[in-house]
Amino acid sequence: MNIIAYAGMAYLLTAVISFAVIAVIVGISKFLSNGSSGQ
Amino acid sequence: MLHNLLTIFPGIGTLFVQDPVIAFTRIGLIALGFVLAYMGFKRTLEPLIMVPMGLGMMAVNAGVLFLEAGKIGTLIIAPMVSETNALVEIMQIDFLQPIYNFTFTNSLVACLLFMGIGTMADISFILARPWASITVAVFAELGTFVTLVIGYYLGLSPAEAAAAGTIGGADGPMVLFAALVMAKDLFVPISIIAYLYLSLTYAGYPYLVRWLVKKKFRETEVEYDFPEVSQQAKFIFTVVAAALLCLLLPVASPLILSFFMGVAIKEAEIEPYQELLEKTITYGATLFLGLVLGVLCEASTLLDSRVFILLILGITALAISGVGGILGGWLVYYVTKRNYNPVIGIAGVSCMPSTAKIAQRIAFEASPHAMIMPLAMGASICGVIVSAIAVGVFASTIGLVGG
Repeated sequence: MNIIAYAGMAYLLTAVISFAVIAVIVGISKFLSNGSSGQ
Repeated sequence: MLHNLLTIFPGIGTLFVQDPVIAFTRIGLIALGFVLAYMGFKRTLEPLIMVPMGLGMMAVNAGVLFLEAGKIGTLIIAPMVSETNALVEIMQIDFLQPIYNFTFTNSLVACLLFMGIGTMADISFILARPWASITVAVFAELGTFVTLVIGYYLGLSPAEAAAAGTIGGADGPMVLFAALVMAKDLFVPISIIAYLYLSLTYAGYPYLVRWLVKKKFRETEVEYDFPEVSQQAKFIFTVVAAALLCLLLPVASPLILSFFMGVAIKEAEIEPYQELLEKTITYGATLFLGLVLGVLCEASTLLDSRVFILLILGITALAISGVGGILGGWLVYYVTKRNYNPVIGIAGVSCMPSTAKIAQRIAFEASPHAMIMPLAMGASICGVIVSAIAVGVFASTIGLVGG
């Protein structure tokens, strides 16, 4: 793979995984806070 | 007579026996070691790293002597020895050899530092503005990827260029880890250049921020509130995030485990461990990191034509990441209809907590009401996570280049 294409792909992959991790953190946070407010 | 004198003082005598280029480089490095240690003393550079590093650099280039079989070396370290029997023998002679082999070559020292960084990271800071923080952090990783391309075109192999690019993440232990995993031959110059530039970053970034963000924007006050998140919730998503990242990026799992273990210990409030990691482990690892990096600065190691390229790449990576972070800050500023201070962008460069402190200091200079520290810390913690992901992505996929 060409280096420029690789750099673009690696950056995109890094961004996607990063947003996914934050989505998990936010999701669990909302899930647990909903759970505790419902009790 | 002169011969006898040179035998009595081998540190000086070896200068006349060695290749003149190495001899002069040794003298230059002794002087540089002094300058670094002194700048650490004056707090111009980071003293925790620079004082032991400068002294180590001086000692290893001054304390050269004639060893058995006419060889020239030191009693401090022999980084090029790898054959098992020779290694066992050298460990009984060179006093820093065990530290180097048992904590450096397997990245343990980087992981220990990461545990300490983890105990400083509070997930609550991310939750104040999670999407803004991660956006800024992703933008602030720009230097890593641009430098990869520049390094490749300057003649480095893809793995070496990727390792040099990680300087753009501005995270010392991460650079150390990346260099050990992807460019073992260059790990000494890459790590030294990274720590040197990271020390200079504290002085340079404020100018960059003031240049890219005018005063009326620097004084922007931001509204935010911390969602109420229980200790249990924070602990659970720390563990889940660690598992998820290890699953996605097994190559970076030592770093991921170390960082999130620090976070988990903090969230679980295990005070004896927290104290151990925050003080003893972090400072112990930093001391030996500085010292070993210093003694690895032998003239023969640094006389590599690639060192000049690395010097250019290091500063390029940090400058582009700084600009990228500010661009991310501007993007969030406009997307959120001006409810964000673009200065926070610099904190996305994950040199935690230094860049967050820089952001707050600059905002306070513009307005005493511009309290952005919690958001800056959130961006910085996200920066650490993004840097770890970038290193994991490189280490897992760099083989695709040129394939």
